[in-house]
Amino acid sequence: MALTKEADLLGPISAYTRRQGYTRQSAEVQFYDYRIDLYGFSKPTGRTIAIELKLHKWQRAIEQALVYQLCADFVFIAMPASSIARVDLEAVARHGIGLIAVGTNRCRLEVAARQSEEIREHYKRYYVELLKRCSAWQIQT
Amino acid sequence: MANTDLEVIIRIGSHSEKEYVEKTGHRFDGLMIGANLVEVTPGASASLLVRMAGQRKQRPYYFDPMTYAFGSYVDPISGLLRTDLDWIKSEQRVKGGKKGQVERLFKNSYAKLATALGEPFASSISNGGRAVTPDDLGTKAKRRATAASVIAYQRDRIRSVFREDEDYKEYADEVPEPAAIFAPYFYIEPSDEERWITVNLELAQAAAALKEPVELHTVICAPMETVSDRKFTDRIQAEVPASGVQGVWLWFSRFDEHAATAEELTNLRRLVSSLAGSGLKVYNLHGGYYSLALSKFGMTGVAHGVGYGEQKDVVPIIGQSTPTVRYYAPTLHARFGVPDIERSFSSLGISTPDDFWNTICDCAVCKGILQKGLDRFEEFGEKHYSTPQSKRMAQTPAAAKLCRFHFLLSRIRERDDLSKTSIAEVNEQLKLARRAWRGTVLRDDLLYIDRWLAALR
Repeated sequence: MALTKEADLLGPISAYTRRQGYTRQSAEVQFYDYRIDLYGFSKPTGRTIAIELKLHKWQRAIEQALVYQLCADFVFIAMPASSIARVDLEAVARHGIGLIAVGTNRCRLEVAARQSEEIREHYKRYYVELLKRCSAWQIQT
Repeated sequence: MANTDLEVIIRIGSHSEKEYVEKTGHRFDGLMIGANLVEVTPGASASLLVRMAGQRKQRPYYFDPMTYAFGSYVDPISGLLRTDLDWIKSEQRVKGGKKGQVERLFKNSYAKLATALGEPFASSISNGGRAVTPDDLGTKAKRRATAASVIAYQRDRIRSVFREDEDYKEYADEVPEPAAIFAPYFYIEPSDEERWITVNLELAQAAAALKEPVELHTVICAPMETVSDRKFTDRIQAEVPASGVQGVWLWFSRFDEHAATAEELTNLRRLVSSLAGSGLKVYNLHGGYYSLALSKFGMTGVAHGVGYGEQKDVVPIIGQSTPTVRYYAPTLHARFGVPDIERSFSSLGISTPDDFWNTICDCAVCKGILQKGLDRFEEFGEKHYSTPQSKRMAQTPAAAKLCRFHFLLSRIRERDDLSKTSIAEVNEQLKLARRAWRGTVLRDDLLYIDRWLAALR
């Protein structure tokens, strides 16, 4: 399947992060006037992730990811593997943001995210409670 | 020419804003109310105005006759010229009709206003609607009659509300006059620009010839592109001062100070400067901090809503969802989302409420909220599902109220600070603010400051 729309990235990235333990997930999660493309919670570790999906505009993705650091332990940008070469990996890493290359068959971690130092526990708690109430992951693939 | 008595005038958009006006209105320099609002709620409007303008608070008030609403306009969706006045119509239930049966009729407020203003407005809403054209005002006699009725309306309408009330009629003569009256004005629609400018100027002249004992102002209401149209601005600069009015209110539709180019901002500054140099009082009908800063170049005052109304389309786009009232960052003179501000805390070195008050804002609202802890900043953006059917959360009314009160208090402070500072100091403050916020997530949103600096030089 060609990755031509941001929505095309959702299925592969959801499966990838579930394999990392983030089994409770929700897409299009509202954070004030932002929409976080994918928010996940790992029950065993208590950690959360927020992922911004982008086809090309990685600078805009960094801006959004920085804001999501308020509500998630780890924040990633996920882009098609074919777009990764254009990303300033140093800029991404400097902000503690992770980067995931999404291919049609597999996802690959390009830059590891650092634990957010900006996280506000009350925001995280809200989303964790929301996801705990979900009986299963909510992504439709 | 620099103005040290800058006026900030609060425009009342609806009676739901009454609380803001009652609590902070006395600290502003005037209130403005649209005639359409008065027509739909005469009692409430009159009593609010008298409370604020009466002997105790003595706030000057302005009564916008809204005559432009009956002229032709460019549809913001299609871009086509419309003369059917559709934008002042709404879907209304058919009286005696079947359940759910609706028809598109003039809004009650504008229908009543047209009748109250007389010709040519009254005729414009008969037969389904036909916009007033320059030809409708083609003779001196017609312009004189129109000016006289629009002025009489502004001077007498509030009194007449009292006169018609058995309990209050004895107070009718105590109702204060508006601080100034407006000549009838119409949108200078681009396809017939020359004629519309001429008609507006002639209406101003006709109003001036009536020699009313109240200060007379006119409104220049035009597309925002005209601010950079030399031919247009030259004519305004040359002919408005000669029309006999004492003041002019500029309204460049959709002119957004934060999005305007340096050239547009400079052209606005030049226009203000030139009009003020001709001895006119100059106001921006819908302006923000940049317009306030133009007091250093002759701007007399700026009007805006309670949260925030710093720019306005002549014809609003209908069907838009209610926007979030964002947090006004006083040193940046702009509003931003709550998470964007919150994410900036670390870069600004803010880790305690005291840091916040020293760096961002220490108004009474911010003091009150943040004394419970820095994380309470989120209260400015609190969201909820406003109805059980809502798919997306919206800002709570309480959060919107906090943002509005904080904005109004910030605006009072901005006005007071401007009266004490030189333009060089204003520019220095802008530079400092840009530098301070350079390391934050908002750095790419601050380019307007560079444009302001270029225009205010």
